[in-house]
Amino acid sequence: MSVEPAVADPPRRHSRIDYWRIGWIWLALTILLVLFSIWVPTRLMGPPASPTMRAVESTMRVFSIAASPVAALVWAVAIYSLIRWKSKGRPTEDGPAVRGYGPVTITWAAVSTVLCVFLLIWGLAEMTSVTSAAEASNPLVVNVTGQQWVWTFSYPDEGNVESDQLYLPLNRPVVFHVTSKDVIHSFWVVQMGIKVDANPGVTTKTSVTPDKLGTFDVRCAELCGLRHADMETAAHVVNPADFTTWIAQNGGHT
Amino acid sequence: MTAAVISQPAQPHQPAAAGGGLMRRLNVGTAVAGGVILGLIGWLVAHSLLQDDDHGSDQVVLVTLTCWAVGFMIGIGAFNGPIGWALGRDLRREDELFLAGKDQGISRYFRFTTDHKVVGIQYLVVTMVLFALGGTLAMLIRTNLISPHSHFLNPQTYNAIVGLHGLIMIVATIIMVTGPFGNFIMPIMIGARDMAFPRLNALSLWLIVAAIPTLLSAAVLGGIPTGWVGYAPLADQAPPGMDSYSVFIIIFAVSSAVAGANITTTVLTMRARGMSWNRTPIFVYGTVASVGLAIPAFPMFMASQILLQVDRTQGGQFFVASGGGSPWLYANLFWLMGHPEVYVILIPALAALMELTPVFSRKPLFSFNAAVISIAGIVGLSVMVWAHHMYASGWAPDLNGPFMLTTEMISVPTGLLFLVILGTVWRGRVWTTVPMMATYAMLWNFIIGGVTGIYLSDVPADYALHGSMFVTAHFHYTLMGAGLTGAIGALAYWFPKMTGRMMNERAGYISFWLVQIGFNVTFMGMFAVGLAGQPRRVVTYAHLFATGNLVSTIGAYTIGIGMLVLLYAVISSWRHGDRAPANPWGGKTLEWTVPNPIPLENFEVMPVVTSDFYGYGEEPSTGADGEDAREPVHAGAPAGPAAAVVAAAPVEGEL
Repeated sequence: MSVEPAVADPPRRHSRIDYWRIGWIWLALTILLVLFSIWVPTRLMGPPASPTMRAVESTMRVFSIAASPVAALVWAVAIYSLIRWKSKGRPTEDGPAVRGYGPVTITWAAVSTVLCVFLLIWGLAEMTSVTSAAEASNPLVVNVTGQQWVWTFSYPDEGNVESDQLYLPLNRPVVFHVTSKDVIHSFWVVQMGIKVDANPGVTTKTSVTPDKLGTFDVRCAELCGLRHADMETAAHVVNPADFTTWIAQNGGHT
Repeated sequence: MTAAVISQPAQPHQPAAAGGGLMRRLNVGTAVAGGVILGLIGWLVAHSLLQDDDHGSDQVVLVTLTCWAVGFMIGIGAFNGPIGWALGRDLRREDELFLAGKDQGISRYFRFTTDHKVVGIQYLVVTMVLFALGGTLAMLIRTNLISPHSHFLNPQTYNAIVGLHGLIMIVATIIMVTGPFGNFIMPIMIGARDMAFPRLNALSLWLIVAAIPTLLSAAVLGGIPTGWVGYAPLADQAPPGMDSYSVFIIIFAVSSAVAGANITTTVLTMRARGMSWNRTPIFVYGTVASVGLAIPAFPMFMASQILLQVDRTQGGQFFVASGGGSPWLYANLFWLMGHPEVYVILIPALAALMELTPVFSRKPLFSFNAAVISIAGIVGLSVMVWAHHMYASGWAPDLNGPFMLTTEMISVPTGLLFLVILGTVWRGRVWTTVPMMATYAMLWNFIIGGVTGIYLSDVPADYALHGSMFVTAHFHYTLMGAGLTGAIGALAYWFPKMTGRMMNERAGYISFWLVQIGFNVTFMGMFAVGLAGQPRRVVTYAHLFATGNLVSTIGAYTIGIGMLVLLYAVISSWRHGDRAPANPWGGKTLEWTVPNPIPLENFEVMPVVTSDFYGYGEEPSTGADGEDAREPVHAGAPAGPAAAVVAAAPVEGEL
């Protein structure tokens, strides 16, 4: 056992083979995690119904891929230390007196800082893109009101048509003006990836451009009392012509 | 390491304290009696005076619970000291020894005892009771969620249980490391004979004991139907159980302030001679960081509850929009506490694991300075990230970007802590005891908790995931997977020192694997249903989420069984485990130099520290380091080859 002074050089003996083996475990784990990252989260989130949700899913995928080598490295060293450096029972000698190795610490901090900056830039760019629907020239405005334990949607520019289900025309930007009559609710269109709290006394906004026909889920995402679990309804994305018809049937006009 | 270092003169005989005095008859029984009597008086008075008022029932509950707590604290003797001083009397030496629990056997655990070791054990028991309660509620929640419409619990009961589970577990995790180990181990670790303010120490513990029944009273007062966050205005319309919540939080905030001042002062002023900051063990840093962070955090929570009580009992409108109030005010106050609080929980648990990893790797802590800087960085950043809980609230959307920045920055110091542990096990002699296995489990769980936290720090991704089961799974991975796992590791590590007995290793391993496998199954299932769109805190859910919830419930039962095994291991080992040697693991920190059982004032002679405590693989007393005049005296270490570099030299023999 080498006896080193307090600040020791990294021990080189027997370590080359360790680096290689850890490298292989790292590589194998990274590949597994990248495959997992590509397929699993987005599979679970389901097919996106808006560009916003598509952006969220690509964020999940990209962040997962970026995190894969980091997680794989931590786990590879941990697993390898359990295989290679495990002591059978109580250790009878000490390990090498390595108190630190500056280059590793600095590299570790630098790489995590770079990753962090990347996440930030990605996030800011993504924020700009998902709010673009709000800046469209002719958005559909929908007033959303939460109250214990129902959602009400009204269309102020279409003759104040009111509905307890959400109808949206395909590919037209929508701006939701969200408020509440009692406690805090949270307006969540699951497959479109948008959510904003419905607060009493103020109006909050969110926006989206639905780009997939079908029926989607509106849920309340903030505990709002006894029947919080039942505070859900349907969001129907229909062709613009069908939307006009639906408005007309409900006494409105476009 | 045995007691060999420390010369052991017989304890100087103290004459039996003269006179009985009221102080000596007080214990938890008189405390409960005092609480019940004063609570009843408060209830009768409030009930007769206030019942016709609009807010009558809330006022009655507030008065009754406050009276209970005051009565309990009178009954336990918390006010004896201040009243004595007011009357011009100070405590005599024998009074202080009585307060410290000298020669009282088991009964000192049921009194207002000031010995930090007694307080540590009391905290441990309180923590375990809280985990048992919170865990039982978790089992009820998971049983209800076993199928989409199980009807096992009705919505009102379910919401009440969700709130209670959350709050009990948060409090349990806040105290789980700094309470038992911060009080019992930390003072010995720094070479002190007790805390700086022993009576404040007892006060902080008994305030929590007084507060727990107030929280549990919510169960019969309509529950806490708001989740643990207590968001207004839902909290304004909630039943009187919400008043229980407020009173509990206010008392708990006082307790944490008292404990924080005490622990911080102790570490700043009472470290052994020679224990400079670069020789102070990392666990001490973790403890101070945790309680130091709690000092600014909990007053925010307390303020929110005082305002809420004004709303509820006096018709104040702080959080009621129609009266000019703002729900966002509550949310901000809450998360100003709520995010630092996450690190109040995590830092000491991680620090405990960093403390034990060198012992079981037989290597110095890798990059001690990086560990300290990281803890400091986390503390600094953690007070600037609170609004990432409010991205989707609609409050100040322009701040989402800055809060995303601070939140993501916190991953840099946190990531360094992984390097510290990996660097320590690197080429070590890894001894896979239960505490060391906890370190490995943390490496697994906390990576998952951390990476999923990065998704949630991203504003658009958070819009999609906020309020879903994904968030629930994420914070269980951090607070339970890393935090509680670290606390269990700390318990297994310090159990021999705290109880004088070895913990049943076999039961420890069985429990470890059941809990860790069950944990990962539970919360992987929860991640899946969260990504698929299941909201948090729902009593029923769509059929789409059935499989994931079933998996979660099976995993939760596995955790439950594992925790019962752990409980068995703790209780049976405590009662008739093998006697532990003074230093069973070959650790170098000072707590392993004191004999079992630990004398009342820990050290017969005060230790002098001549090196840090991580000198594995180094020759002791080499004096390699010029300015470091290592004394040739060093603690003999018959328990292992690890010759300690810390010297416990007799300098002041006065007790």
